[in-house]
Amino acid sequence: MTDPLQAADIKQRLQECRSKEETFKALVTLSKTLPRLSADDKTDANKVKGCESAVWLITDDCQGIRHIKADSDAKLMRGVLVALISLVAGKTLPDIQNMDLKAELAELNLSSYLTSSRTNGILAILDRLQQP
Amino acid sequence: MVFDSALLRPMFPILAQTAYEHPLIYLDNAATTQKPLAVLDAIQTYYRTGNANVHRGAHFLSDRATSHFENARTVVAEFLKAPEQSHVIWTKGATEAINMVAYGLEHVLEKGDEILITSLEHHANLVPWQQLAFRTGARLRVVPLTSSGEWEEEFAHYFTDRTRIFAATHISNAIGCTTPLSTMLALAKQQGAFTLVDGAQAVAHYPVDVSELDCDFYVFSGHKMYGPTGIGVLYGKQHALEVLMPYQTGGEMVRHVSYQATEFNVLPFRLEAGTPNIEGAIGLAAACDFLSEQNRPALLAWEQSLANHVYTRLKKYGGIDLYSPEKNTTLVSFSVPNIHVIDLNAYLDSQGIAVRAGSHCAHPLMAQLGVTGTLRASFACYNTLEEADRFCDALFDAMEILGDD
Repeated sequence: MTDPLQAADIKQRLQECRSKEETFKALVTLSKTLPRLSADDKTDANKVKGCESAVWLITDDCQGIRHIKADSDAKLMRGVLVALISLVAGKTLPDIQNMDLKAELAELNLSSYLTSSRTNGILAILDRLQQP
Repeated sequence: MVFDSALLRPMFPILAQTAYEHPLIYLDNAATTQKPLAVLDAIQTYYRTGNANVHRGAHFLSDRATSHFENARTVVAEFLKAPEQSHVIWTKGATEAINMVAYGLEHVLEKGDEILITSLEHHANLVPWQQLAFRTGARLRVVPLTSSGEWEEEFAHYFTDRTRIFAATHISNAIGCTTPLSTMLALAKQQGAFTLVDGAQAVAHYPVDVSELDCDFYVFSGHKMYGPTGIGVLYGKQHALEVLMPYQTGGEMVRHVSYQATEFNVLPFRLEAGTPNIEGAIGLAAACDFLSEQNRPALLAWEQSLANHVYTRLKKYGGIDLYSPEKNTTLVSFSVPNIHVIDLNAYLDSQGIAVRAGSHCAHPLMAQLGVTGTLRASFACYNTLEEADRFCDALFDAMEILGDD
């Protein structure tokens, strides 16, 4: 389970990347920490539309805290998902809805990976994180 | 090898730069090629010395612009071995040219007629026909490939007496194989069908002779053959072009207009409404000249040898599913089981290497191959053996990094 401290770690790790190759390797490393979804969870309803790779995202609000499970068939996207989930980990839905997720994402130094076609997918993911 | 790509590189200034601190390696030529100085200069010269609207206004610059513009049409006609320069219609690109034909032939189709395409088609040579079928009640049929990506042996029965239109690509953009055009065009003609060939992937590499092909229409885009974007060509036989209803009307394409009626102009103007893309036509003619000045068989042999070199290295390395032919192609299309092509693409990009990852605007073909997408490295005359090797090395590095779980 990710916690806010890890979010700071992830942010620092990504911000320290000085080249596209370093960011690539950092995302690959992050991707390995993402628990994979079972085939049963990879339903059409859980699929986020508009992503270049397939992305599934499940939110579960338990005792006020929003728990998020996600997966992708692309490794770099799994790394991105780890970073995104860390931003909202341990928070309630109203907390998450009050966050400027786009601004938080912009601080992660991932712009070279979030190209225009992929950005649409990322925005759809951010949207899901904030949906009731 | 008599051909030396290093001699051509100074003609392409864009290639002499770095990407993410690596020398730029451009292997996305099937998407668009880079432009030689001759093309850039032709466009600059047009605006510096010859800019005016064409076919109107009898003044010095207008005459000069009209003469350069119509000369460009002649250059393209000769490039295609078209019998008449009036058979060359300027379009925005191959996509617009196909749409012009799909709309222009709507009036000849009846419910139950058949439009036949092949499994290799780019969406540009599929969706316009599908939508035409929806509008007219015609039926879209597809000459299939086998599961191994070969043509079915018996495809003649797809050509029936209901086949009104047969449209096929010359070369597949996604997997680089060649369509057996002469056989298929002959079958289509036996049934009296209109025939269209999508030459977008052919013109940069192969000499095209529309008279020998004997198709009714041949289309291509300038930007895939060293020319500018936004210009393309619809070649057609006289009678075929005359059958087309103009899908755009307006100025330039008319002879006389009253409030009651309009008399259309003759070919080629009848199908060219509005002020044309003059700089594009002039740039495209410069690209044709650039190619014609080269030893084209040597260029093609070089591009094919690069593709074959990469194919051989990938095959030898193992664990890679190859979809393009081993030989006689200028691109390599492949996927790596359990590694997403966009991850491979991202690593290659981080090394300054430009390729294309995805479905290549050919969703049905990808479905037939059983993949969501492939990685495509496509070669042009300016690519070097060193670039081909650096691509392979970087790909193997990517597989190492990405394939560990």
